[in-house]
Amino acid sequence: MSKIEEVKAKVEAGKSKLVPGLVQEALDEGSAPGEILQAMVDSMGVVGEKFSSGEIFVPEMLIAAKAMSKGVEVLKPLMAGDGSASLGTCIIGTVAGDLHDIGKNLVSMMIESAGFDMVDLGVDVPADTFVQAVKDNKNVKLVACSGLLTTTMPALKEAVATVKAAYPDMKVIVGGAPVTPEYAAEVGADGYAPDAGSAAVKAKELATA
Amino acid sequence: MLTKRQNLMEVMKGGNPDRFVKQYEAFALMMKTPISRLKPPVGGTIVNEWGVTLSWPEGQLGSFPVHDEEHIVIKDITKWRDYVKAPKLDYPDEAWATAIADANAVDRNDKYVTVFVAPGLFEHVHYLMSMEEALMAYYEEPEAMHELIDYLVDFELRLAEEFVKHLHPDAVFHHDDWGSQINSFVSPAMFKEFFEPAYKKIYGYYKENGVELIVHHSDSYAANLVPSMIEMGIDIWQGVMNTNNIPELIKQYGDKITFMGGIHSGLVDFPTWTPEIVAEYVEKTCQENGKLYFIPSQTSGLPIDSFPGVYETINKEIDKMSKKMF
Repeated sequence: MSKIEEVKAKVEAGKSKLVPGLVQEALDEGSAPGEILQAMVDSMGVVGEKFSSGEIFVPEMLIAAKAMSKGVEVLKPLMAGDGSASLGTCIIGTVAGDLHDIGKNLVSMMIESAGFDMVDLGVDVPADTFVQAVKDNKNVKLVACSGLLTTTMPALKEAVATVKAAYPDMKVIVGGAPVTPEYAAEVGADGYAPDAGSAAVKAKELATA
Repeated sequence: MLTKRQNLMEVMKGGNPDRFVKQYEAFALMMKTPISRLKPPVGGTIVNEWGVTLSWPEGQLGSFPVHDEEHIVIKDITKWRDYVKAPKLDYPDEAWATAIADANAVDRNDKYVTVFVAPGLFEHVHYLMSMEEALMAYYEEPEAMHELIDYLVDFELRLAEEFVKHLHPDAVFHHDDWGSQINSFVSPAMFKEFFEPAYKKIYGYYKENGVELIVHHSDSYAANLVPSMIEMGIDIWQGVMNTNNIPELIKQYGDKITFMGGIHSGLVDFPTWTPEIVAEYVEKTCQENGKLYFIPSQTSGLPIDSFPGVYETINKEIDKMSKKMF
């Protein structure tokens, strides 16, 4: 097995203590940082698919993402300023009135693993704050709004409308337990995903369209 | 006409109930004990008996543990003993007076004197260390996690001992959310390793000490955990959501465990709810799930509503379905 293949396998298995060393070995063997990063992104794609299909659960996804981030730490100094490695910036947050962050954190982690730079606004985020974050950050390609409660669905609608009013071409995805594809379409979102694995796929699809 | 308790028993044993059990009607919950956990008031923040900071912001439906760096209790799972200290449970008899009076006021032929425990082990662990850190630690520091869970089990056994000694409960209503709407948080294998033996001890203790019914709340998907629930000794899974295939669960496991729920609180208990919406969901769940091994109920874990009138309207609609179907 090549070192890159080993990196892939160990990211997928969530071996965060082993991945940094393997990434270094792959570099020492002459692999390009971008190539190694892509291998890890691919691994996380597999992890996301397995999560979406119910083959693996949240802990497996978390340790895989942690393993990848440990690998990325080794690559970062070598890739500084290399914008080509990023799919752009994604602003993410749980909408106003809603304090649930676990689902949002999982989605954030998976979108990051797909190659985005994340700006996490946290929970209970007013609609205007999403707009301000688009303004304040470079190369924003996507805004992701989360809401877990039926009672905060109007805030989800407001967040999408406010972002779209300020930035009509900005891609916006929504998700959370009560959200359906129909609701996403009704509030004017560009995309919807039922879980963190599919959210990463959808984010990539929208940002590269 | 059967008493509420007798009717519930008939539902559970697949016998001859004379009506649907109406949600929590058969359980007299003992909430005023000196060892009931502290909860923040709406709009307030408290530090509970375990050192967990809990906040209930205005306008929210429940309280949340605060998990920023400053407030997280377990900062390093391998040193959990440095951070976690179980609260005291030895209160003088007079502190139990209200609860004892409440229990004595219950006609036990009609209702179960039911003690309430929340949060359970899974939630307690992530209250102490945050969900993400807890879930990763099951892989990364399994020995420490087993030790921490054992410590919490010891506490729960002492809690159970106090309840049994003072109130002689007929039932325990125990909360622990084990999943999201679409899946369990952890795999059945991980669940079996960390939680099945732990709960088997706790629920086994209650059963050995005169408690007839173990009612466990998890308003989530958890169909994949039902074999573990049965092994633990759970008699009723309260909170079963429609994302589980309830009719199939009843068919497969009904003779071993009863399912209580089917009316998703998020779909009926919201600011612009109407009696018509409630009626639609109650009828659907009664028709789909039938009269045996099933209790129609909102999925939320207490006999209260977030928006006034919902809980009672569900009860009225269940009455209508009883007239229609029995």
